[in-house]
Amino acid sequence: MAFNKKFVTGMTFAATISLLAACGGGGDEGGSEGGSGEESEGITIFQTKVEISDQLEAAAEAYTEETGVPVEVIGTTGDDYAQQLQIRLNNGTGPSIMSVQNAEVAERLESYLYDLSGEDFVSNLAPDMGLMLDDKLVGIPYSVEGFGIVYNTEMVDPADIADYDSFVSTLEDFNAEGINGFGLSSEAYFLIGHISNYPFSLQEEPVEFMEQLTNGEVTLTETEEFLRFGEFMEAIRANTPTPLNTTYDTQVGDFAAGQTAMIHQGNWAAGMLEDFEVDFEYAMAPFPLEGNDKLAVGVGSNWAVNAEKDQEEIDAAIEFLDWLHNSETGQRFIVEEFGFIPAMTNIEAGDLDPLSQAVLEASNSGETIPWAHNYYPANVVPNDFTPVAESFFVNEDMTGEELVENLQAAWENAAQ
Amino acid sequence: MANRKKVGWYLIFTVPLLLIFTLIVLVPFVIGIYYAFFQWDGIGANPMVFNGLDNFVRLMEDERFLRSAWLTVLFTVLSVITVNAAGLAFALLVTSKLKLANLARTMLFMPYLIGGLILGYIWQFVFLDVFTLIGDVTGLESIFFNWLNNEDFALFALVFVFTWQMAGYVMIVYIAGIQGIPGEVIEAARIDGASGWQRFLRITVPLLMPAFTISLFLTLSYGFKIYDVNLSLTGGGPANATELFAMNIYNEIFGYGNYGYGQAKAIVFFVIIAAITLTQVYITKKKEVEM
Repeated sequence: MAFNKKFVTGMTFAATISLLAACGGGGDEGGSEGGSGEESEGITIFQTKVEISDQLEAAAEAYTEETGVPVEVIGTTGDDYAQQLQIRLNNGTGPSIMSVQNAEVAERLESYLYDLSGEDFVSNLAPDMGLMLDDKLVGIPYSVEGFGIVYNTEMVDPADIADYDSFVSTLEDFNAEGINGFGLSSEAYFLIGHISNYPFSLQEEPVEFMEQLTNGEVTLTETEEFLRFGEFMEAIRANTPTPLNTTYDTQVGDFAAGQTAMIHQGNWAAGMLEDFEVDFEYAMAPFPLEGNDKLAVGVGSNWAVNAEKDQEEIDAAIEFLDWLHNSETGQRFIVEEFGFIPAMTNIEAGDLDPLSQAVLEASNSGETIPWAHNYYPANVVPNDFTPVAESFFVNEDMTGEELVENLQAAWENAAQ
Repeated sequence: MANRKKVGWYLIFTVPLLLIFTLIVLVPFVIGIYYAFFQWDGIGANPMVFNGLDNFVRLMEDERFLRSAWLTVLFTVLSVITVNAAGLAFALLVTSKLKLANLARTMLFMPYLIGGLILGYIWQFVFLDVFTLIGDVTGLESIFFNWLNNEDFALFALVFVFTWQMAGYVMIVYIAGIQGIPGEVIEAARIDGASGWQRFLRITVPLLMPAFTISLFLTLSYGFKIYDVNLSLTGGGPANATELFAMNIYNEIFGYGNYGYGQAKAIVFFVIIAAITLTQVYITKKKEVEM
């Protein structure tokens, strides 16, 4: 019995001590991160695009093999990237390379963003593609992306969706046949975020328009494009099953299965369609708001370097980005493995899927409208627009005009 | 000697726990109170501006917060009633002379073992596919439709799923209470001619008061704090119709980037829960009877 007691006491002490040691160790790691050179031997990458997680890890391995510099890729689920990044930056375990989605986010993280303007490899950046903060270049675009109406060419003739009337009658025809004519999905950006771009992007000066909107100089309800947008949304609600029951996966899956004729998606969906080995042809068409005949093309996210790290690690991070964009291996990863449409002039696009091809062609010819949502107030889409869109889709008696009014209120709430 | 030994044991068992509790509960709590008086976006390098009690004044006028507070109260009241009614009913059932009592006990406890996140996704599927299917087949489409897409019913869906999860847990508490009631008291009452209902009301319920104290406390505080099922089942939607307290705070801090304001909400949230649960414990404690 005595032995037992001693044994238990010993065990408890051991457990306590090892626990304390663990705490102490954790603290040390966090503390050394800013100053000493302990971690500067390698770099860490934390980024938002889940689709390329595995491929990026492979690229990191290839880089380590070539140069001996260890690269750690920290996993993400995509959705909570912003929160995770904030936590990591605050507790001192921030990555050396991170992704920054747009100018709004860049402004918040300003003190963490290293000025990349002077670096050699950015000279190959396609014009107006870099993420600028004042006069500093703080982000290198991942790739060019575009969205629009992805349609099944066997079911839809693009001439039938070229304006409001034909679009609506096409939806009505599909509805009568029991086919989902136009699929959105319940996630914030796929429900309202992307599609809400059109009335903004069709303004002559979208960014200026948004500034005026924030200042109260213009209202959405007095702007033609928005009223038409409301009508489109009404027609979509009236003739298709509610998107709130659909996820991104089922939206794309139903399209691949031929149960949906058109979905509102971007070229990133092509990867999933290829996985499904769909047996029909698909293509991307512009959303015909006010006769719009251009795809919405922009940059989904940007690589940025953490300025809070010591210079050695910053240099290592820049070298990695340089390798990714300038070496043969790196470029192969971008084009073939990531499936990106490069935003660098010195990288040739590879064999592209039909959707990316459409985006690339639009981008090269300049026949595009910009991504207005990159200039929205931070997080307005998940925070404010999504609840509005949800109530629009659950309340059949809410009109398109009321939708626009509520979007106006949502904007005011977010921009204050 | 013996006394010193006791102190040693006491320390061994309490110090590690106390240390952990201080580190991960007390310290963040105090820091949280401190942050509540600042306007800050939660990013270490950005400035913190002291703004006194502004955050607390502001939340009195924050309609979304007040709505969320009301929804949380509604949710908690409804679920405290349903969870405890169901839990007590189950407990009475499985302590009766039912043949399948043991099996039933296990089955009823099972939902509690499933994590709230997974459970939410499972029920999302049930509401979406099974409910609409039942509606189609039986023609009762006014009851069986996807509750999650209805601003009024989504909250009931949340109550329903929370009850399904928690009823088994409080059932265990009630079973322990029921088994602690001496058989002779019940028997004496029976001999005196008390009916089944009278025995339940006059003997079982008063003697179960300690179990009520615990169960009500647990369900009240769990109900107020619910986040996981809320997140996975409805995500606060549709149109924020099910955005409860915890989610509102999370969205304020991480969605809108108002760290200080979110902290102020969290402090108010803490005070409310503490006040309500302590009152409840005080009241039910007084009703407990000594054998």
